[in-house]
Amino acid sequence: MNEAERTTSAPQIECVGLGKSLPSGERTLTILEGVDLVIEAGELVAIVGPSGSGKSTLLGLLAGLDRPTVGSVRLDGRPLEQLDEDELALLRRRKVGFVFQSFQLLANLTARENVLLPLELTGFEGARERADEVLDEVGLAERGHHYPAQLSGGEQQRVALARAFAPRPQVLFADEPTGNLDSETGARVLSLLLGMRERHGTTLVLVTHDASIAARAGRQLHLFAGRVARDERSETQEIG
Amino acid sequence: MSWRAVLAAVLRESRASRGRLLFFTGCLAIGVAAVVGVSSLVAAMEASLRSSSRDLLAADLRVSARRELPEELAAFFESRPHERTDVRQLAAMASLGEGTEDEPADSRLVELKVIDGVYPFYGQLVLTPADLGVADLKADTVFAAPELLLGLGIDIGDELHLGGAAFRVAGEVVDEPDRLDFAMTLGPRIFMSAEGLARTNLFVAKSRVSHRALYRLPGDPTHDELERLEDELRAALANPSYVRISTHTEAQPNVRRALGRVEDYLGLVALLSLLLGGIGVSQIVRAWLAGRAGSVAVMRCLGLRAREIAALYLGHVALLAVLGCVLGGVLGALLPWAVQAWAPDLFQGGAEHLWQPGSLLRGLALGLLVALLFSLPPLTAVWRVPPAAVLRAEAVPLAAPAAVRFGAPTALLVGVFVSAFVQADDLLVAASFTGGLLVLAALLYGGARATTSLSGSLPRGAFGPYVEHGLAALARPGAGTVGAIVALGLGVMVVVSMLLIEQRLEEALRTALPEAAPSVFLVDVQPDQWDGVRTSLEDRGARSIDGVPVVMARLRAIEGRDVQDIASEYRSDRRSTWRFTREQRLTWMDELPADNEIVEGALWSDPERDEVSLEEDFAESLGVEVGDLLTFDVQGISVDLTVTSVRTVDWQSFGINFFLVVEPGVLDGAPHFRLAAARLDPEEAEYELQNELAASFPNVTMLRVRPILEKVADVLTRIAFGVRALGSFTILTGLVILAGAVGTTALRRAREAALLKALGITRGGVTRLFAVEYALSGLVAGAIGSSGALVLAWAFLKHLAELEPELPLRTVPVAAVVSSVLATLSGLSASLRALRARPLETLRG
Repeated sequence: MNEAERTTSAPQIECVGLGKSLPSGERTLTILEGVDLVIEAGELVAIVGPSGSGKSTLLGLLAGLDRPTVGSVRLDGRPLEQLDEDELALLRRRKVGFVFQSFQLLANLTARENVLLPLELTGFEGARERADEVLDEVGLAERGHHYPAQLSGGEQQRVALARAFAPRPQVLFADEPTGNLDSETGARVLSLLLGMRERHGTTLVLVTHDASIAARAGRQLHLFAGRVARDERSETQEIG
Repeated sequence: MSWRAVLAAVLRESRASRGRLLFFTGCLAIGVAAVVGVSSLVAAMEASLRSSSRDLLAADLRVSARRELPEELAAFFESRPHERTDVRQLAAMASLGEGTEDEPADSRLVELKVIDGVYPFYGQLVLTPADLGVADLKADTVFAAPELLLGLGIDIGDELHLGGAAFRVAGEVVDEPDRLDFAMTLGPRIFMSAEGLARTNLFVAKSRVSHRALYRLPGDPTHDELERLEDELRAALANPSYVRISTHTEAQPNVRRALGRVEDYLGLVALLSLLLGGIGVSQIVRAWLAGRAGSVAVMRCLGLRAREIAALYLGHVALLAVLGCVLGGVLGALLPWAVQAWAPDLFQGGAEHLWQPGSLLRGLALGLLVALLFSLPPLTAVWRVPPAAVLRAEAVPLAAPAAVRFGAPTALLVGVFVSAFVQADDLLVAASFTGGLLVLAALLYGGARATTSLSGSLPRGAFGPYVEHGLAALARPGAGTVGAIVALGLGVMVVVSMLLIEQRLEEALRTALPEAAPSVFLVDVQPDQWDGVRTSLEDRGARSIDGVPVVMARLRAIEGRDVQDIASEYRSDRRSTWRFTREQRLTWMDELPADNEIVEGALWSDPERDEVSLEEDFAESLGVEVGDLLTFDVQGISVDLTVTSVRTVDWQSFGINFFLVVEPGVLDGAPHFRLAAARLDPEEAEYELQNELAASFPNVTMLRVRPILEKVADVLTRIAFGVRALGSFTILTGLVILAGAVGTTALRRAREAALLKALGITRGGVTRLFAVEYALSGLVAGAIGSSGALVLAWAFLKHLAELEPELPLRTVPVAAVVSSVLATLSGLSASLRALRARPLETLRG
């Protein structure tokens, strides 16, 4: 079976007893504690909570960007704690996409090259055509040769969306994707994100402190002081 | 990731910032220019010096013997391309005519040089008239030294008699390239053709003739090639012991020793230049990666493995290094031309030695290698950047794998060791250099850690906010203080050691020839003439007048055993036989000259016996030790002398020295003459003295050694100048690279400067704050680095150059202050833009 495809019928993401603490002077600062979570393939989960509640930390742990202090995370059935940094990188390369609040485009690459990079990493067949296709999907087909500094915030985040969806990841992690944008641009970017997720059938884990954005997700995970305070599921979810 | 994707990524990364790219390339270019430049200068100097030392031999290789040269010589060279000239030297009496028994013709002992072929192969035979050459010698003409003409009262065109044949003096010998061995000089020079010699009765079977074959070899052979050829030749000769083979690299001892020292020095210069270039590269890559940490985190987040990112940046370093190498290579290759234009005397022989393609290629290869090796340790930073940094800037750095942590510095150390070995061709030297560097780096690391820990724990409120913040900034996480101090300290070590070594070496070269080295020797001064001769010398302002009695004697027995018996044991070795049976020159004196040093026994220490003091090598060649009894035949009278001391002699002093010095009083009454030496300036005074001696003391022969002295002094001066030029160039490039290294660190401070200004600190305040930081880093690096420089300079001067180091300890505080000022100035200069920019511009990026 192809590695890039779903390999098991296990949950897309599963974590048990997840915790993260950091040394802070002579004390230990607990950021996250006892998080148990199962996210099925295709789900849209919004992680919500006030500043400092551990939202971004949880996202980093689920995506294999960071290591938990306790507990375990399984992504597509693979226990992340058993993988070294290189294996984690390969897993992210093949299965995971990211969208960040501060866009995180590589400043020295054009918009098209930013989109091409993950495709080239995976040896994607027809990478250039695919990059053009997703840039067209986010409405930036004509701006591919521009550098990030030459694009507006909204445009940069649309390039980030194109980069994230280009290799067709199974899971997309989005950390406050509209946090750096004005409300109108933010709404347009959010619609684009949710629409693309729907079309690509991608599992989306979205961190936000905006209740209106969270409301558009089928499931809301409320964090408070590093713990899951509430795990809410609604009947319907926004599809774009 | 395919290679195509990697290449594409490398090329894209090159667009990161054109300005920074230029800066990096420029710094690399300076490093490579230093390597190629020094290497080219070294090669050009070596080639030029090789040419100079060839002049001193007039050939690439000389084979000489006291009898006919062996026939195997021709067979040996038959298969090797060469040119050969045969030279014979013998003593003869030159006179104005046949004379009569009652009234002998005025005559002088002369040294004939009979040339059969092209002469000289290298250097210049200076004759008057100037358009003459050896080829103009006919069967009945000679060229004669001016002192002979003066002594005999004749001129060019007049006739003199040699070996029963008359010759017309066709020209005067002003200078000849290979007459440096003045200790063996018998009298004024006469050049004669082989046909001329055939007309005389001088060349008979028993004549003491020195035979020489001079060889010119194609392809500018190096020292090693000549040594190899010498070994092969020695092996091809049936009886090599009576043949002396000399290569031009063994020319006059002052020059030879100077060349040896300079060779070691040049190797050190090239090695330290490499190190400097490497330090520059290392700091550039460190600063560059620090600025790219965000991009590295994003790439790791997107699934690039750390090693792939490192390969990407290494590829980028290689790309920059190639650009920098080409640029620096061109600049470095042009350096000898620039030096030639600035100092035309340095490279004798015109522009032929200036183009050094080998050095260019070697420099390019070494530059690329050094750039890659020295970028490895800072590249390990890629492994430490956590992918989680895309979410939180303060994410905890990862630990690089052990293979990376230890592999990168190990590869660097191995690279330094290999480079040192290539330069020094000596395992011990290479290991000591690498080990010393490691120790110094460890000391600098310790010093830097102590500085950061001390500056972080100083009590608040004692120094004012700016100094305190500056001190605290040294200790803040990610400040890069430790790396900066280590790099700066190593750089200071290189620059200061170059300075110390260059100064001491230059001084040694300048004083290699005593300022008052004798310019004339007077032979055969009779005891009753000495006072008159001395007065003549003093009247002409002569300095360093020295006159010693010489008694000719033969060694009869050693410890009662007849020397003929001892010599018979060496029957197959004529040279060894000769050292026992030849006529010896004895002198006596109360105290030894300053250039003699007793190494065994004590001078005139045994009141019971007549004593003699022997030169160390001479004693060894006779197999004689302190306490042995030597019996001499002094003009028919047997004299027993006990060896009570053995001494070394500094033959480079140009003073009068003897193998055998006898206790005063023992040889009183023995027939003797005086050998005198003196320094006469200006040169014309020598001719005046010659005239007076010819008139008042016609038996006294005056030998002028000024041309020899001037020739040696000229070579030494040029070597000293070369040492200064190379040292200055390396020190200058070192300072530029160090300033660049501090500057690259400062570039990272733009955001901090903007933040501080946004918080209301004035530009002057930020400047003061940064200045404290740079000054302290420079001070620590300067103090430790210059201490390391003292050790390196001491080890080099003592063990390789064999000089008394005499290193000033004040170097350490001076270097620490200078390094501090330099670091502050270059750091602040690089921060100028950030200090001038409006805070918002920088904070918005």
